[in-house]
Amino acid sequence: MNTLFFQYALAVRYLLGRKLRTGLTTLAIVFGVTVFFGLGMLTPAMSEAFRQNLIMSAGEVDLTVTHVTGGSFGAAALDVVRRTDGVAHATGMLRRNILLPAGLGRASGTKQEVTAVGVVGLDPATARTVRSLSLTTGRFLSDDDTSTMVIPVGLASKLALGVGDTFALPSSSGTAAFKVVGILSARPAAGVEEVCVPLSSAQALINQPGQINVVEALLAPGARRDSVAAAVQARLGDGFRLGGLEAGGEVQAAIKFGQTFYGLFGLMALLTGAFIIHNTFRSVVVERRHDLGMLRAVGASRRTVLGLTLAEALTQGVAGTALGLAAGYVLAALIMAAVTPLARDYLRVDIGRPLVPTVPNVVASVVLGVGIPVAGALLPAFSAARVSPLEALRPAADSSATRAAGRRALAGVALIVVAALTLVSGQFALSSLGTALFLVGLILIAPAAVRPIASTFGRLLGLLLAQEGQIAQGNLAREPGRAAITASTMMVGLAIAIALLGTLSSVLGGYRGYLDRSLGAHFLVMPSSLVLSGGNVGAGPDLAQRLRETPGVGALTTLRLASSEAQGIQLQLIGIDPGSYPLVSGLTFSQGDPAQAYAAIGRERAIILNGILATQLRAKVGDVLTLRTPEGDLPYQVVGVGLDYLNSKLTTGYISQAYLANDFHETSDVLLMVNAAPGANVAAVGGALERVVRDYPAFSLLDSESFRASQAEMLANFQRASYALLLAIAIPGLVAMVNTLAINVVERTREIGTLRAVGTTRRQVQRMILGESVLLAATGTAFGILAGLWLSYVFVAGMRATGFILAYDFPWAGVLACVAVGLLIGVLAAMLPARQAAQLPIVAALRYE
Amino acid sequence: MAVIETVNLTKVYGHAETAVTALDHVNMVMQAGEFVAVMGPSGCGKSTLLHLIGGLDRPTEGCVRLEGRDTSRLSDTQLTELRRRKLGFVFQFFNLMPVLSALDNAALPLLLDGARPEHARAKAAEWLHRMGLGARLSHRPRELSGGQQQRVALARALVAEPLVILADEPTGNLDTRASDEVVGLLRQIADEAGRSVLMVTHDPRLAAYADRIAFLKDGRIVDETRLSGDRDAEAQVTREKVAAL
Repeated sequence: MNTLFFQYALAVRYLLGRKLRTGLTTLAIVFGVTVFFGLGMLTPAMSEAFRQNLIMSAGEVDLTVTHVTGGSFGAAALDVVRRTDGVAHATGMLRRNILLPAGLGRASGTKQEVTAVGVVGLDPATARTVRSLSLTTGRFLSDDDTSTMVIPVGLASKLALGVGDTFALPSSSGTAAFKVVGILSARPAAGVEEVCVPLSSAQALINQPGQINVVEALLAPGARRDSVAAAVQARLGDGFRLGGLEAGGEVQAAIKFGQTFYGLFGLMALLTGAFIIHNTFRSVVVERRHDLGMLRAVGASRRTVLGLTLAEALTQGVAGTALGLAAGYVLAALIMAAVTPLARDYLRVDIGRPLVPTVPNVVASVVLGVGIPVAGALLPAFSAARVSPLEALRPAADSSATRAAGRRALAGVALIVVAALTLVSGQFALSSLGTALFLVGLILIAPAAVRPIASTFGRLLGLLLAQEGQIAQGNLAREPGRAAITASTMMVGLAIAIALLGTLSSVLGGYRGYLDRSLGAHFLVMPSSLVLSGGNVGAGPDLAQRLRETPGVGALTTLRLASSEAQGIQLQLIGIDPGSYPLVSGLTFSQGDPAQAYAAIGRERAIILNGILATQLRAKVGDVLTLRTPEGDLPYQVVGVGLDYLNSKLTTGYISQAYLANDFHETSDVLLMVNAAPGANVAAVGGALERVVRDYPAFSLLDSESFRASQAEMLANFQRASYALLLAIAIPGLVAMVNTLAINVVERTREIGTLRAVGTTRRQVQRMILGESVLLAATGTAFGILAGLWLSYVFVAGMRATGFILAYDFPWAGVLACVAVGLLIGVLAAMLPARQAAQLPIVAALRYE
Repeated sequence: MAVIETVNLTKVYGHAETAVTALDHVNMVMQAGEFVAVMGPSGCGKSTLLHLIGGLDRPTEGCVRLEGRDTSRLSDTQLTELRRRKLGFVFQFFNLMPVLSALDNAALPLLLDGARPEHARAKAAEWLHRMGLGARLSHRPRELSGGQQQRVALARALVAEPLVILADEPTGNLDTRASDEVVGLLRQIADEAGRSVLMVTHDPRLAAYADRIAFLKDGRIVDETRLSGDRDAEAQVTREKVAAL
């Protein structure tokens, strides 16, 4: 116990003895935990916000029946429920969350804004037999009502509405005004506030005549819920679900995808941290050879020395994790603050919820934040434990290094060959494994490669620093193991930078491509939320008709929306008109012939999948999928894999609008794209369209150029944010490089003293160290670029495998920037140690041990 | 019983053509409280002898017996424990831990042995006081002079009350006055605490503090002299003997 305490105390002393180094290496852990924990906390909060916005409460009734796709169905199902034994009363409803465009959801003179309401179309005759709805004032809906509404008391006070006032909702034909006839007493609800309107009004509002999407039932006294539910389920079949209505599965999936992506980013930062710690400790063990030998000589066991090194890593891990957790919370809060207004404006979702860390997230962050540095220090700790007590007494270097380097290099070459084979295999899982092999291979080769690389670059350096350059080259080649530690630190830092730059520029290039292709029309008539399924109210056929009739309008196409399920995976279906869609917009295809695919979906039950959906379903062209529809399970043949910009991140299938109407009863347009006719004055057409769209507050007219510009700006912002993250990953790596270089100089103090004693000037010593540093940096940069290109290629291949259609964009700018940064670091890293070395008093340097 | 006994102690470095015999069948005995100096030209095997006796290295042939127990057969863990409890080392370059204070450096063997920190520090403080460093307990090594650092190292060697102190050129880095102080302390330790001291030195003047001098040449003990007590005279004789080696 006392030994343990001693180990820990000594570890802390060592860490405090090198505050800068400790701080900078710990920074890598802090950063990793910050990203991992912060984003891990943020995504569930956002996900919950979306869920609550999208989910409609099940209500306090005995039995609720919905369709598994979340879509609507005819009144036949209501009859089935009514006729089931044990059911006393049943009522049909049409419920839908509707986003309120800015302007409709705010009472004049108030700042509070309601972004969405749940609209519940009730059958006034039967609703109150099933639900208890108590009013504070006014009356309930009656059979002969058309545009009346009862609203909850909370909403009434937010919008300053009372009985007799009018509340307008966006509708398929523009807006629909409802007269408030009653105020409901408060009812606790997890999601948005619900307003009740007559069923027929709701059907007209969202353009679903004769449709309902929920059946609620009250059981007869004495009836057992289980057996009644089983009977209802048996009669309706498995296309129906008993329980609450859920929506937005595809949005949830997208959020989860985001969480995984950023989680990987955080993990990568932590792994970089582990590598930096690994390398720092490798250098530390070299630096402390004498101390460790002495400890062993005075009786420290191997285990004590091992524990000492691990205790240092543990301390750094614990401190870094603690700081990272705090910083992660701040990061999440900052992102939340930044995203909340954006989400409200673009997606009409209120995500301003308190951030609560979840236990699994905290545990995972702590395990990774503490475990990874300790794992990184493990090998150096073992090598520290192997230091012989004699090391305390002799300054000799390891003679077996060269032989070991040769063996390692051979192993490295073998690993790289295997990695290359995995790359040509085309299997993503294999090539990911290959990437790890490639990196390990490079690290193994590094010591053996230092000499040839140093001699190649050394010739160049010789032109600049004739004599010192040669000595620098010699120094580097003489201690290839130590040089390799430094170079490989730099390699990993730069490799990650290049990999991310390469992947990012490929991905953003891909997105810009989808953007131009799928939203390339002159004008876009956009709904409130960019997430099409996020509660937008579609327009009936009259909007498209009126737009079409606007003078100067050429081709026009619309998108419609439904949800479905295939093989247990929730998906959104986009209904396109195969005739006009390719004229105005278009998908980017990765499988199938576009012309044939569009023709096929117009002709038969055929579907084009987007990449994510195809990957999740493991489906390819020619397969037949069974889609859940309100009409039962129906087969759709896959005729292509392609994607558009808005839906690239959601599980999406594209079918024709005719089949969407037939099988899913959806005929509303959620997005309209319009081209000006050839020769028409585009600006004048825009003006005319604007006058039409003004009648539909759920929509806004955008000229696609400015929309694309704003989206491109958003992508550019994303790119900039990623660069900032990149810098944060790269900086600790570079610090580690400075660190190892400085240790290099300290180790050679005596030698520098000798050089000074025989007449080397301070300036020459400085140049020599500068030369060595630049050579090291060049070696690290060369390796880093190689590894980075490989990594980025594999990443892009991985993205392709998950359904994104991307061309590999060679990161020329990134490579050039890395060369410049690499050499600059070489110079910067040398400045301090070179100064120190040159200023050492010769006698002190000669006596340095 | 002898505290230390070496039996045909041999150390060969390298193999075949490159083999170098650093120590060649050395037989030597040290009694409790005896102060032995080892002298000889550079490369004669002085340090190797010390390393083998101290369990820092293993012999190629022969053995070292500490209180009759053959140390060459011990495992690494047993050797480590032996170094911690029975042996104290003093090195030429002091080899103090730069991050620890004088007090913690001196307490190190006890702390490593799992002693309670307050007990270890109390004992270390006691030794540091005896070494004349009572006012320097919290100083780091770089804040101490060479002589003071070596006295801290001496306190560290003694704190676990070992049987034997092994000193490898302990004055190699010190001026004459500090050298005399340090070797004087070693003499005192042998006389008053009954510890055996084995010291490697080049300096005949300092070797004259010992009870006995062993002269090494080419890995063998070629002469042994028991000293009378007249240091100046002994130093002169020793100087001549060393010159003749």
